[in-house]
This record gives sequence, structure tokens and C-alpha cells, in this order.
Amino acid sequence: MRPFVYEQPNDISAAVAIASRFTTDDEQPTRANAQFIAGGTNLADYMKLGVAVPNRLLDLNRLEEPALRQIRVSDDGIRFGALVRMGEAADHAEVKRRCPVIADSLRLAASGQIRNMASLAGNILQRTRCEYFRETSWPCNKRVPGSGCAAMEGFNRQHAVLGASDACIATYHGDFAQALIALDAVVRAEGSRGARKVPFARLHRLPRDTPHIETDLAADEIITAIEVPAVAWARRSRYLKIRDRESYAFALASAAVALDLDGDSVREARIALGGVATVPWRARAAEAALQDKKLDEASADAAAQAAFADAESRQHNAFKVELGKRTLVRALLETRDMKV
Amino acid sequence: MLKNPASSATGLSRRSFMTGTVSAAAAAPLLASAAKAEEAAAVHSRLREAVAVSLRINGQPYALSLDTRTSLLDALRDHVGLTGTKKGCDHGQCGACTVLVDGKRVLSCLSFAVMNQGSEVTTVEGLASSDGKLHPMQQAFIDHDAFQCGYCTPGQIMSAIGCINEGHANSEDDIREFMSGNICRCAAYPNIVAAIVQARDQTRGT
Amino acid sequence: MDAAAPKPGENQGEPLPRIDARLKVTGQAHYPADLPTANIAYGALSTSSIARGRVTKLRLDDARAVPGLLDIVTYGDMDKVEKPKFGNSGATSIGPLHDRTIFHDGQIIALAVAETFEAAEEAAQLIRAEYEEEKPTASFDSPGAKTVDAAGKNPMHKEDVKAGNFDAAYAAAPVRIDARYSTPTQHHNPIELFSTTAFWQGDQLIVHEPTQNVTGWKVELARQLKIDPANVRILSPFIGGAFGSKGPMTPRTAIVAVAAKRLGRPVRCVTSRMQAFGTQTYRAETRHRIRIGAGRDGRITAFAHEGWEVTSRADAYVVAGTSATGRMYDYGSVLTHVSLVEADRNTPGYMRSPPETPYVYALENAMDEMAVTLGMDPVEFRRINEPKVEPIGKKPFSSRSLIQCYDQAADAFGWAKRDPKVGAMRDGDWLVGMGCATAIYPTAAAPCAARVRLTSDGDVRVQCGSHEIGTGVRTVAGQMASERLGVPIDKVNVEMGDSSLPPAPVSGGSISTASVCSAVLKACDAIRTKLSVGATAEGRPLAGSHNEELDFADGKIVAKGGASAKIEDVFKIMQVGAIDEYAEFAPKGATPGALKKLYAGQPEFHGGDHDEDSVKYAFGAEFVEVRINRYTREIRVPRIVGAFAAGRIMNTRTARSQLMGGMIWGIGQALQEATEVDGRYARYVNRDLQDYLVPVNADIRDLQVILVPEVDHAVNPAGVKGLGELGNVGTAAAVASAVYHATGNRIRDLPIRIDQLIA
Repeated sequence: MRPFVYEQPNDISAAVAIASRFTTDDEQPTRANAQFIAGGTNLADYMKLGVAVPNRLLDLNRLEEPALRQIRVSDDGIRFGALVRMGEAADHAEVKRRCPVIADSLRLAASGQIRNMASLAGNILQRTRCEYFRETSWPCNKRVPGSGCAAMEGFNRQHAVLGASDACIATYHGDFAQALIALDAVVRAEGSRGARKVPFARLHRLPRDTPHIETDLAADEIITAIEVPAVAWARRSRYLKIRDRESYAFALASAAVALDLDGDSVREARIALGGVATVPWRARAAEAALQDKKLDEASADAAAQAAFADAESRQHNAFKVELGKRTLVRALLETRDMKV
Repeated sequence: MLKNPASSATGLSRRSFMTGTVSAAAAAPLLASAAKAEEAAAVHSRLREAVAVSLRINGQPYALSLDTRTSLLDALRDHVGLTGTKKGCDHGQCGACTVLVDGKRVLSCLSFAVMNQGSEVTTVEGLASSDGKLHPMQQAFIDHDAFQCGYCTPGQIMSAIGCINEGHANSEDDIREFMSGNICRCAAYPNIVAAIVQARDQTRGT
Repeated sequence: MDAAAPKPGENQGEPLPRIDARLKVTGQAHYPADLPTANIAYGALSTSSIARGRVTKLRLDDARAVPGLLDIVTYGDMDKVEKPKFGNSGATSIGPLHDRTIFHDGQIIALAVAETFEAAEEAAQLIRAEYEEEKPTASFDSPGAKTVDAAGKNPMHKEDVKAGNFDAAYAAAPVRIDARYSTPTQHHNPIELFSTTAFWQGDQLIVHEPTQNVTGWKVELARQLKIDPANVRILSPFIGGAFGSKGPMTPRTAIVAVAAKRLGRPVRCVTSRMQAFGTQTYRAETRHRIRIGAGRDGRITAFAHEGWEVTSRADAYVVAGTSATGRMYDYGSVLTHVSLVEADRNTPGYMRSPPETPYVYALENAMDEMAVTLGMDPVEFRRINEPKVEPIGKKPFSSRSLIQCYDQAADAFGWAKRDPKVGAMRDGDWLVGMGCATAIYPTAAAPCAARVRLTSDGDVRVQCGSHEIGTGVRTVAGQMASERLGVPIDKVNVEMGDSSLPPAPVSGGSISTASVCSAVLKACDAIRTKLSVGATAEGRPLAGSHNEELDFADGKIVAKGGASAKIEDVFKIMQVGAIDEYAEFAPKGATPGALKKLYAGQPEFHGGDHDEDSVKYAFGAEFVEVRINRYTREIRVPRIVGAFAAGRIMNTRTARSQLMGGMIWGIGQALQEATEVDGRYARYVNRDLQDYLVPVNADIRDLQVILVPEVDHAVNPAGVKGLGELGNVGTAAAVASAVYHATGNRIRDLPIRIDQLIA
């Protein structure tokens, strides 16, 4: 690991000020000299591997704003402070009651220890676990722009079938983000250019020909909160995660589903897919396919076909197309059958 | 569109990427202005300065002088001499390094020691009482043969205590799920679950 | 009594808790990288990123500029030491720093040594190599792969076994199957990282390193460093899991020793999890073709097993499990052949049940296919083909309780409730499947020495250079002394894991309990003889009794008629404070030089299929239930039952734990474990525990181990058959059988994952 200077800013504005001094406007947060750290579960790993090489770490854990550590539930929705730990949010009674899909997505992620460490904001910004990205002796367009992609023709079983480009097929492995994008969450961020709201769906960037640009954030911007608007029917929601082992593994395919039902018929469906796409993936075509339909195996299957209509697979990940569809079908039917 | 040199004869030569590691640093943009250059110089002057870190470990205060890069795990093992906490992967994938920080179980390999300034750290060495009486979880691990080689055991025990504290040991299913961050390659899992049930019931007084 | 401590049956010892348990739960068990060492310097490896070619240039300037860097050991620095040797104690003949040739991915190119771990790591990452690269051969189907006959290439496989006329019998068989199977590359991944700590005290070299073979390493390291083995001491008091990976010494050990010599201070190098994939050994991928011919009555008349194994270009590593599969059933005729396929890979090595895990997987999956083809219950099919003598040499089995294992496991599992129709069993959205398979592992033993000391106040010290890798050998050795000398276990102290102790063989091949206990038994019996003589001489408390009629129990020597003498009183009468006995055990059939070879780190293995009088194997039967989601096809194993017979069980607790661990290994091998090799570059891709999946707690639910009583006096004096490797043989086939039963999909290539079931 490269050496780094460690700083502990006291509040958000101090953190932004330091970050601003040591980063430039056009710099990507993941490539900047000064980087923020909260739980460290992703960044420390990548620093050890030489994938992330900041020379200054700004520890956000001492920021004094109480809201950063709070979960506030109101009629407007749920506001998660950025420094709330995954485990705390997963165990929150109101989160579990109002948005099971959120609690599920957090509970099924990583391990108990990692959930105790990782902040919610850090979790949504976690970087891909692509093996070729993690090991610096491989070429990787995300790690070193223009160096190539070793995964395309390599071992790509865990790679994305949706949202990939000719430059990158790395999967976004997070779970929580699927719940957030399904529920139209908004991220609050503060940087040297002020505070702003970023719709969750705009936070992550498709790889296109610039896979090294991973998010919409500037290098001196800090996520301060994640807001999930109140949706009464989100009580009928769940997160289904399919993986190679029962726990502590990334999704091969996952589905976040929330359903507003009128009897058997779908008034509104919210669907996001994980483990199969390069970014958190809202499946709007699938949602549209279910609109006003009776939800049964046939309509669920039609929605799944729509969700994966544009899927492109490679040598080892072709199974993910079918698995992704079946995961969605199962998630839809299980969500339909929830007793709420 | 970018070429994919790993799979095509054209594009960047295989040779050049093999000449060393390619990291983001190699391509990091230069700092924009003179002011930034000054900042950079300031950074470098402090880059390798040791930092003072105060920790309470198993109830004892420690004042350490550490490289900022030193993980809490390496601080415990190499700087404090508490080698009960184990390094199994150093990347947060096995759970062998689990300790309690301010009562919560965390992975000490993924936590820079400096970030734990002022924290109370509990390791496996801090569980037995001063008269040598084992913590109920330690005794339960012995009773149920919840280990073989014993290497992951300190992490399992700390994680198990954290798991009960969190309220995630209410059923065997819960225990299995919430203990899945601790890999036991000898695969003592059923015995670990039985041990946690015993310790849970004892510590709850049931 | 809880599940962890089964009530001992006939010929089974008490489920005593491990005698080192307290150390392990308090963090006081010191594994080699934990041993306190003053003034230590830290080493970090730099490894190659190509699999074949030459290092043309090594740029060290950036690394040398790292503050705190002390030294870099690289090309030229190992010229005065001998290259490693491949064999019993050496993992490979490749001396990575002896020349600039790159033989495999992840080969050591330098060792950076610094004042701190952080500086060493930083420097190692800054070492830049330039290569002249050649197109490497990754595996079986890669261009440049060279296939050769295995027989004769390695002492482990002298010839391909056969019996009768397979071709004629197969051609004549009314029912035939011909199928191909494969197993993937796997890495042991013990949770303890591989490490070497070396320091010199004058001419004396002391090495702390987790090993299954302190004596072999002492000799091999001394040979490489050209020093007297008496000047090398290897310490490995606790080992954090081994599974074969710590049997042979890798080139790192000598490199770290050289670094310590150059610096004149201790150097510790802990290999990263990722680097271990290329610097240690592994289980290479295998392929199999199995042909079985049988009559409609289910009697097998013809069996052929062809195997292909990957090895490195440097070394002919062979497992050749056809020795066991060719003897498993009453086949009529047997044809086997093993081929090696040379590739640009690091040299493979022993991994828990090296030959049997892949080969028996193929055999047992084929047996299940044949049972299906015959329309026969798979248990019945095996019962019909149960042999009286093994088919190759027509020798009897010293004992064989396979059918008892099947019967007891089937009963406990509820096999009778299984609907044999494929896909017939369901539970809601879950397809239920049940399958079974046979486990087999050769029973061997090797020469072993031990020293036992009994003091007048009843303290026992057992010293033996064996290795506590988690098997419980420290406990059962103590238990043997406790039983033979009649002292409570808490009075017994057992020292192991030190090359200065009486030598023991490598802790591999499931020989430790048998070999160590036989040596300890012999030493204890020598002590008993001395005390008995002291107690029965004229005028002594037990005068008139015969030695062989005396029993040692509860601190007393008890004569047949009930008269007894306290051991401490006998000591007083004899006017000695302690009796110290050094025993050397050599198994039946050992050559005259066998003991000498033990001290030279070259232990002879006897038993298995080597002996003249009989073949010696332990057996088991495993039953598995799988559940497969009807939509998403993930496979779970809610239930597994294994029944095993392995002669005398020293301790039912540690025996059950080992078998349980083996069965879980088997589940992992069936469903999860695989090292992926990038075929273009012959490089490992998933080099960590994030992507190399092994079972976690939530994967394992209801697991039952049945210890079937068995008495076998022929195997060794202790009557013990090893069982550390038995549990994970056959499991994967049982899972494959259950998956077939649930889905109708016959999966022949491991691991069985969603990919294969979703199509």
C-alpha cells in the first residue's frame, strides 16, 4: 500500500474544504489523491491491493452532524444518514415494517461484521468486485483507462449481462442500491459547489467508453443522506438474492420488487435487478409489462422477458440471463404472496 | 470504442501491461495549479510521519506510534503483542480477525488502527476473567468441540459474542446466517452453532 | 451427551475434550507467525504476472527508495544454495530465484525485506519486472499440452492396475455405461496464511513455519542451504489448518532463511492469500472416463477407469486414484490407465484425500448412473458387488465394514422413504433429491518415534515430532499415554511440532493417529514393563503376578486378583524419580532401513495396497438430501448422514469432528470449490476467499456422523485406521446422485452449480 496522510475533519464543511484543496474539479473520486473513508470495508481492501492509491484519507467518522448517524422515519419517507451502518439499518424496526425490500437487501449483503462497519453511503458507492479489476497486473479500463479489458474474453462468470459496453462488463455487486433505485430514492450530497439532490437512478454511470467514471459525484462531494420517499404499498416488497452459497456471497442474480396490488392485479410494480448489470438496474420495461395485469406465473415471465430483452452474454455468464429472469419471476410471485 | 488488448492482436501490447502493475496512480492527473503543487509538497512531507494512536485494549490503555497504514489487526499483533487475533486473508473475506470495537464485532484487518483512536477494543485475550475462569462462549466452544485447528477460533468466538449482543442468535437459523462471515475451513460449523446456543442460554440465564 | 461427544461404542475411546482446547479458545495457542521474535524484519514477496517466459529486467529502484527497506533478495542471491527438490518434503523442483525462467503464474521473483510490514508490502508492490513472454499452456485442452503415461513417472504410481480381460468382458456385458467426468482445480485455503519466520543463532537456523512435516523439512532445508541438518530446527507448535498444503516445503522457506542470514536478524514473511495460489501447491484438475459393464442381475463384469491429471512441466506430480477405485468392488475385470498432462503451472500437491477425492467421485457417480440404468436401488447395487477379496491382487481386506456403514447410514437417513422416481419428491417450490455414495481411504502407517516420561508424582510428558493440524493427534497421543499408564489426562502433557523432538512421519495420508499412537503405545509399554518388574519382584507389593496380567489404572498397578500398588509407591521402591522411554515404531513389513529413513525425513508408508497379506482400507457410506429451487435452481444440502468404520476410534469426539469436517469439504467440492484458470494466460483468476468459495456456516444444516464399531488388529498395533481424509471421499458423488434424483440432470463436471441446472 502507498503511504497516506490521515485527517479527521470535524464537520461536513471542513471535510469538503480539505477534499477540495487536494482534488481537482475534473478528478474522479475513485482516482483522487484525497479520498473519503467511513467504514473502509471497500476502500481499505482496494488500497491493500493497489487498486486505490489515495495519499490522503479523510475519515468521516468524526463528523459532528448528528443527522449523519440517524434514521428518520416520517410521513414523507425514510431518511438515512450517510454514516448509518448497514447492520443498524437492516435491524431498524420501522425500516423492516415499511420497506422490507431495504432491510432484506442489507441483511443479505456481506457479513455481520462488514455490516457493522460499512456505512450506507459507502455501501452504495462500493466498487466492482471483478477479479480482473482487483488484481493490478491485468489490464482494466475501469482501473486504468484505455488499458483494455481482460474479462471480456476471460473468465466472466460473474460479469454483467445488462448495461455492459465494449470497454467494461464489470458487475455492480451491491444489494442495497437495488432497493433504493426501485423505490426512487434520492441521494443528498455536499461539495464545494454546494449541496444538491441526486436521484438515485442518476448516481451511478453506465460504463460506456468511460468505465473509470463510476458515479455522478465530484471528488470533493460527500453523500450526507439517502432519502426514500414514502410509498405506502412498499410494505409489499422484498429482495431475493440468488448466490452460489447460502450466505456471504455476491448475487449471481437478485431482484428488488415492490408491488401495489389491487386484488390480483398490478397497479404499480417497482423492479430492480442486481448481480446481472454494470450499475444498479431499474427494470422499467418489466414494470410496464405488469401494469394492470393479473400477476401470475405467465405475466411474471413476460415481465422477466422484457427485463432481459437487451441482455448480452459472454462465454461464462450466459446462464445469468435465464437465472435473472427466473429470479425476477420468483421474486414477483413471492412478493405477491406476502402477507402485509 | 476502446480496444481490448487482452483479446486482440492490436491495441496495447500484452508486453507493456505485463511489465508491472498498472494502478490508478500511474495515470492520476497532475495537480492543476501551483497552489495544488504546494499542497502536494505538504502532503509528501507528512506522508510517512508516524501518528500517535491511543486505544484501550481489553481494559488497558495503550499509546502507540503507528504508520497510518497499519491495520488494527497488525497493531494488535505486531505492536501490542496480542497475537490471539488472527490474519486469515487481510481483505475482509474470512472473519479470523474479528474483534469487538466499542462492543461491536468488526474486521480488524479492514480497519486502519488510526481510525480507532480512543476506542475500546476487546480481543480473545480479554474474555477470560483474571482468575482464569473462561467466558461462557470459550467454555462452550470447548464443550462442543467447535474448532479443530483453532486458527479461526478467536474470530469465531468474538463474532459469536457480538452476534448474541446484536440479538441475532435467537434461532439456529439466525446463528448460521449471522455467523457466516467467519469461515472455518476445518468446518466445525454444526459444533459452533451448538456452542453459541449453549453460551446464549447461559448468558441469558435461561 | 451432546452431538459433539458421541457415546463410545465397542473399540472406541472416550470423547475427551482436546487437551489444547483451552489454549485455542483463549488465543494462547501460538501458531508459527505468532511466536514472539525480537528485532524482527518483515518480508513481502513479489511474484510473476506471466506463466511462461523469462524475466529480462527487474527494476528495483522504486522499491529500494521506500524508507525502511532493508534488503531485496532476488536473482543471483540464491546461487550459493541448492535448488529445491521435488518429492517427499519438497513441493517443487523449481528454484524460482535460481534462474530467470518463469514456469508458472505467481512465481516468486523477489523478496523485499523492511523494518515494517507496511514498508515491505509497499516495496514488493513497487518491484517491476519486464518479461520475454512465451505463450503458456494452461490446462488439458490448451495448445502445447503434453500428455504422457503416468506410470513410472513418480514413485507414487509404479503401474496401472488391471485384472482379467476387460475388453472381452465389457463387449459381452448386456448393460454398459461409458461416461466422462471432471473435477476442477482446487486450492486448500487453510485459514492460516502461509508464512516463514527464520533466524540464525550462530550456525543454528531456526524456522517458524506451519508444516505437516518438521523432520522432512529440516533435512530438505539443510540440504538446500548446505548445512548440517542438526543445525536446523523447525518449529510448528500449532498449525492453522493444512489439508496437505503444508506437507511439502515450498521454495519460500530457503529464501527467507537466506534473507535472515544476510540481514543478521529474524525475517518473517507472511504470504498473502492471493500469492498463496501460485506459491503453494493445489489440487490439479482431473478428467475421467469410466466404463462399466454388468449383467442384468447387477453384477459388474467389467470396469475401466482412465484418468488424466494436470501437472507442471517441472515435476511429475501424480495421484492415480485408480489404485483405490480398481479395488472398490467385485468387478470381474479391471482396466485402468492414468495420464499426466504437462502445463505451465505450479506443481500440484497433496490435497485432502489426494487420489480418492477426484477418482472416487468419478467412480461413484458412474455407479449411480449404472444403478439407474439397471433400474436398481443404488445401495442394493453396491451390496450385490461387495467383494470377498479385492479384484486386483485377490487379497483379502484386513477388515471391510462397508455394508454395515450403508445399512446404518441408510437407516438413520430414512432412505427407505425415498421415492426412487426422478423428480418425484417435492416440498413446495423445492425439488427434493436423495443420493448416496461410498467413501474409501487406504489405511497406512509409517515409522514413528516417541519419548514418554512418567514421573513418580504421576506426570506424563509425551514428545513426538508429529503435528497438530486440527486432527486432534495431540489429544489422542495423550489419551493413549493416559490409558496405558493409568493416569488422568490432565496429568499428561504432549509436545509436538518441533524437529528437535523424536521424529514422526509427515502428517499426511491419514497416518498420524496410527503411527503416533503405535509409537506412544510402545514407549508406554516399556515404562509399564519397568514398573511391573519393580512391582512384582520378590518382596514387592505385587510379587508373584505376571507382567502381562497387570493393569494400570487410576494411578495404580492392579494385579489380576485385585491386589494393587500405587505407582508412586513403586517409584519409591525402585528409588527413581522418573522413567523415560524412547520408542521407535516400525509398521509390519518395514524395510531394515525404515527407521533410518524416518530420521532422514523419508518415512516409508505401509498398509493400503502395499502389504502382502491383505489390503487395508477404511470405508464409509454417505447419504445426502438436496433441495433445488424449481425456479432459480440453487442447490442446498439440508441433510447429510455419513457412517464410517475405521478400526479403533481413539476419541469419538475428535473422530466425529474430522469426519464432519470432511463431509462439509465434500459438500464444498460438490457445489462450490473451483480455482478458475484463465486459459489464455495460464493464470489463476479467483485468487482469494471472495471468489474461491468454500462452505460457510449457513450452508450446513443437519449433519450426522455415525461411528460404526470395527476391530482390526492387522492394520497396526494401535488398531487404528486413519479417518482425516475419509469423510470427504464420495460426498460429491452422493450430491451428484441426489441432484440427478431431484432433477433428472446428470452432472458429471464439478462443481455442480446453477449454471449447469438452469439451461
